[in-house]
Amino acid sequence: MKIYEEIKPKKKPIKKIYVAAMLWFVGRAIQAAAKTDKNVKEEFKNLRDDFAFSLGVVPNGPVMIVGKTKEGKVKYQGWSKKGQKLTLEMNIKNIEAAMLVFTFQESTSVAFARNRFFVTGDLPDALAVVRILDLVEVYLLPKIITKLAVKRYPKWSELNPIKKYVNRIIIYVRTILGV
Amino acid sequence: MNIPAYYEFCNRVKTFSGHKALDQLPQILQNLKAKKPLIITDKGVSAAGLITIVNKALGTKVKAGAIYDDVPPDSDLKVVNKVAEVYKNKGCDAIVAVGGGSVLDTAKGVNILVSENADDLMRFTGAGAVKRKLKPLIAIPTTSGTGSEVTLVAVIADHENSLKMVFTSIFLLPDAAILDSRMTKTLPPFLTALTAMDAMSHAVESYICIGKNPLSDAHALSAIELISQNLLNVVKKPKDLEGRLALANASILAGAAFSNSMVGMVHNLGHATGAICHVPHGSCMSIFLPYGLEYNLHKSEKAIGELYFALAGAEAYNDTPVKERPFKTIEFLRNLNEELHTATDGRHSRFLGEIFDRDNNPMVPQSKLKDIAVNAMGDGAKIYNPEELSLEDNLMVLQHAFDGTPLNLKKIKKG
Repeated sequence: MKIYEEIKPKKKPIKKIYVAAMLWFVGRAIQAAAKTDKNVKEEFKNLRDDFAFSLGVVPNGPVMIVGKTKEGKVKYQGWSKKGQKLTLEMNIKNIEAAMLVFTFQESTSVAFARNRFFVTGDLPDALAVVRILDLVEVYLLPKIITKLAVKRYPKWSELNPIKKYVNRIIIYVRTILGV
Repeated sequence: MNIPAYYEFCNRVKTFSGHKALDQLPQILQNLKAKKPLIITDKGVSAAGLITIVNKALGTKVKAGAIYDDVPPDSDLKVVNKVAEVYKNKGCDAIVAVGGGSVLDTAKGVNILVSENADDLMRFTGAGAVKRKLKPLIAIPTTSGTGSEVTLVAVIADHENSLKMVFTSIFLLPDAAILDSRMTKTLPPFLTALTAMDAMSHAVESYICIGKNPLSDAHALSAIELISQNLLNVVKKPKDLEGRLALANASILAGAAFSNSMVGMVHNLGHATGAICHVPHGSCMSIFLPYGLEYNLHKSEKAIGELYFALAGAEAYNDTPVKERPFKTIEFLRNLNEELHTATDGRHSRFLGEIFDRDNNPMVPQSKLKDIAVNAMGDGAKIYNPEELSLEDNLMVLQHAFDGTPLNLKKIKKG
């Protein structure tokens, strides 16, 4: 009887590390933006008090978690779902789909349209998270890249360039220092 | 034709279409190994004598286990629980849903409960929570229509807690859909217009939004052509059975299209208007449809132009310069609304400000536009819209839809 070797899928460590790094940075950037930008603050204010969401790749990660503390502050809560009470899970179906999103080959909305994501939780909350991610991307990335990720880049009347660059510096510093 | 980098398309529903397609019902049930179906319907369908036709079609070989005919216009959790009890108590083994969107959604909800032997529907909300095959479900639509006979979605309201539960799963797809012209023959002209424009909005939005794919496009274009060629005739001559069958086919084609490519701002604003002001869904769709095309014109110009072929025919399409085609599409749909308004003696509304309830009160007061705009921000359909929609954008479109004036294209913020 011929014995067939078990084919194990490759683990794609480089891609996993890249996505993990992006998620870590974006998670901490959301925490920073919630202290810096009034629109991000407003979005979180309208979410329930125990709001916590995860954004990550199924089945085994990487993942990032952001949520509201009891005091109402927005905090990056790490990369493990264990012991977390999540009200929203935004799951990317596989690492290849995650790479398309995090290398900006597909915008968030196109990724949704192409079934790269599935969501557990309230849909209005998911839409709020998409708006927050769009705002954070405007701060983190140069315009030429952000335009690939969002549907509409804010006009000058919506976000003046001086405010954008000042907030960008503050958010980067806060993200790196974790404050 | 642009092939997206990735898409998914699923339509497992076997469709039976014909002037006496219901005669196939006993065979369909036999193939599904069902002997005692529960018929779910509403009072309107019952009163129109349509259940008598269904019962006659069942013949002597199959007898309905029970008939539940009290489904409300808005599918309700309490009703779903009640109907599931009837199914269990009568020992039924299949469901035959005869009605519009509410009946079909109720039937899908009942199917979840009886198949999973559960009593808490909340456990199955969201996408993919229903993970296995359910009991046999046959859909017999009596409107043309929501397309629910081929969608994998059910929306059921928990009125007590003011919640709308959304269930999405391929296992919610009915096993069979029967399109029999007798089922829509008695649909009044203004309801024929409303439901057909709902189907039109499904087809149009699925063609221009970002989830479009070749399979949904093919379904959408056929649906648009059938509606365009038959709707006015059927509204003026309700007994036109060929026309009725054509509209039923258009509805199922449009349902298959949007179920697999989703919809955009027309449904986004329409859902919000329905939620805040309780305006019938079809009214919202027909009013917002031209605005959805105007708003997305700079992003979907080519696709909107291509729709003119399905709407107006080859000759008109060829005679129109390429750059003018998108504008002709929008003009066609506005004219269609006007003609339907005339043909239904004013019951088909052309703008939000002219929708009145039975007591002649305006259903959409100016003061509610802000609430509608805010509500629309939480609706999932906006993800699939080609252009971004902010609260200010919603308000701008709503104001124009209220007044019945076209959008000022220069004031649309372009992404």
